[in-house]
Amino acid sequence: MDFNDILQIIISPTTAAFALAAIGLNFHYGLTGLLNMGVAGFMLIGMYGYGISVSHGVPAWLALIIAIVGAILFSLLLGWPTLRLRGDYFAIVTIAAAEIVRIIGRSQWLKDWTGGNTGIRGKDFKGPFEQLSPFPPRLIRVGPFQFHGTLSGSWWLILVGWVLVGVFALLFWRLNKSPWGRVLRGIREDEDAVRSLGKNVYGFKMQALVIGGVISALAGIVWAHGNAISPDSMGRTTTFWIWTMLLLGGAATVFGPILGTALFWAIYVAIKQLAPIVLPNLASTQVEPIALAAVGFGLILLIVFRPQGILGDKREIALNG
Amino acid sequence: MQQSTVSSLARNTVLWRIVAIIAIVAVLAFMIAQAAQAAPSQAESPAIGAGENRLLQTLLNGVIFGLLLALASVGLSLIYGTTGLSNFAHGEQVTFGAASAFVAVSAGAPLWAAIIIAVFAGAASGWVQDVLLWKQLRKRNVPHMQQMIVSIGLALVLINMMQIWIGPDRLRLSTESPVKKHFGPFALTPQTAMSMLICVIALGAVAYFLMRTRLGRATRAVSDNPALAAATGISVNRVIRVVWMMAAGLAALAGPLLALYGDTLDFTLGSRILLLMFAAVTLGGLGHPFGAAIGALIIGIVAELATVYAPTPDLKYAAVMAILILTLLVRPQGILGRKERVG
Repeated sequence: MDFNDILQIIISPTTAAFALAAIGLNFHYGLTGLLNMGVAGFMLIGMYGYGISVSHGVPAWLALIIAIVGAILFSLLLGWPTLRLRGDYFAIVTIAAAEIVRIIGRSQWLKDWTGGNTGIRGKDFKGPFEQLSPFPPRLIRVGPFQFHGTLSGSWWLILVGWVLVGVFALLFWRLNKSPWGRVLRGIREDEDAVRSLGKNVYGFKMQALVIGGVISALAGIVWAHGNAISPDSMGRTTTFWIWTMLLLGGAATVFGPILGTALFWAIYVAIKQLAPIVLPNLASTQVEPIALAAVGFGLILLIVFRPQGILGDKREIALNG
Repeated sequence: MQQSTVSSLARNTVLWRIVAIIAIVAVLAFMIAQAAQAAPSQAESPAIGAGENRLLQTLLNGVIFGLLLALASVGLSLIYGTTGLSNFAHGEQVTFGAASAFVAVSAGAPLWAAIIIAVFAGAASGWVQDVLLWKQLRKRNVPHMQQMIVSIGLALVLINMMQIWIGPDRLRLSTESPVKKHFGPFALTPQTAMSMLICVIALGAVAYFLMRTRLGRATRAVSDNPALAAATGISVNRVIRVVWMMAAGLAALAGPLLALYGDTLDFTLGSRILLLMFAAVTLGGLGHPFGAAIGALIIGIVAELATVYAPTPDLKYAAVMAILILTLLVRPQGILGRKERVG
């Protein structure tokens, strides 16, 4: 078993991106109790907004704004019909909306913009970000870690990704303590009670949806810089993974999403390495499904035996479903 | 009391309308099947016949797909109605049926026997699931939302187990290549006509069960109000167990039929239509099995029409998702739902 691989995945840009998405989901679910099952859709909106703009010659800062505005519009569009409805309706609509984004993205219809099912190649949109890198353009080894200085999953991207994670964790901590956060937590626990206090529940939910949505979109952009823009890697499974990460670490906590994401990837890589050792006659194509099935099984055990996750408070997460 | 009698009467007329629609479709399907059997395959008829009406053919395809979808969705709706669970693992039940049938066929069983085996295997899996998992969660009073997330975990487990079981490749349930027979404006294979007939009979049986049998009435009572049902002496857990077996069995029947209809199956067969099932169930009204059937027919027709009228055919599922969201805008409780349920 290679511990280096595990350490490497923990600090990798992919983990940072997922941690960011988990923080976004934490605003939705942890703080407000919204069952957003379309996190991957928000991420796709972010990466398409940025990637399409940059590959058509828009400067990076404007592309970033376009991506953020896209995520805000998507949140508003999604929240408008559904936030008045019961939780499971919201879950079904968000999952459906995420699928719409993915299907349109991979469709031949807008191929000139989205690249169809092959998506947008890295070299078409990564340039502006990589040019900003302060690191030398070569492989750099620091202790057990080795990444490139500027290209794709680089030290530069790691730096930016984790700084974003830190910033939004801080934002969550601050907002969670604020009167605004208390209203949201009130909505999570008992919507009607908050409404009877004269608060505009719909408006508060919408604000939380937009903030979480923008964070998820940024997560999508970070992820795309470490990989590429590919609609099919942002399907339902990705959303379910992010849920597992958040619930593992502990919803409604500041460090839960980060811890959960790091642990998830560490465990995932460990299972993938251990599976062929424990089950020697496993075909190499079966390693991935085994690891994924283990993720699902872990999620079940988690919800049944420790719904609050590692850091969570059981009283906080008592959702009335 | 008065209120509930009125609403149950209203629901009865709705039921009869549904039965009438299903009966018409059944007669149609039967006639087509007969004609297809009787008419010798005409060598000179082109693949897309000159006399064929594309719209009518698309509509027919939509009805076929809708019926298959209805078969798969009714169980989802029944489970939601009786337990309040949005079961994200229901797609895997469909795949499980198709996979079981495939394994049975590979072992040498004839197709019809394989389908029956699949249904029993599906029902058994429903029973096992309820005993090992869902009953325990109900006992621990795990909230519905958390149960939903458990079902997501279960879906992840099942789809990957299925991939290990039948492999990642596309498979075929029947090696004979079906020949489309022409009848008036329509073209379809005898196999598809038979599938439609099976769907109609199975859906009719579910309707009969719910409306005319003791256990079916008990099921509806549990759907309406579990506590009250328990107070009148209905064993809620027994009803729910039957519902799980029925739901899984129906999904397992839909699996091989879908595999035959598309002439291909793989481990994602069911998960690909999961959202269509949710759309059907929501459109019809969450928790109303008849609503799910109507919703599924509409969804099936929309999906097939979209292959013709959407900018590109690969947008057909997006069209369905859009319908789902529009439904929630206009009538969130669905076609048959009652307003109060939405909360």
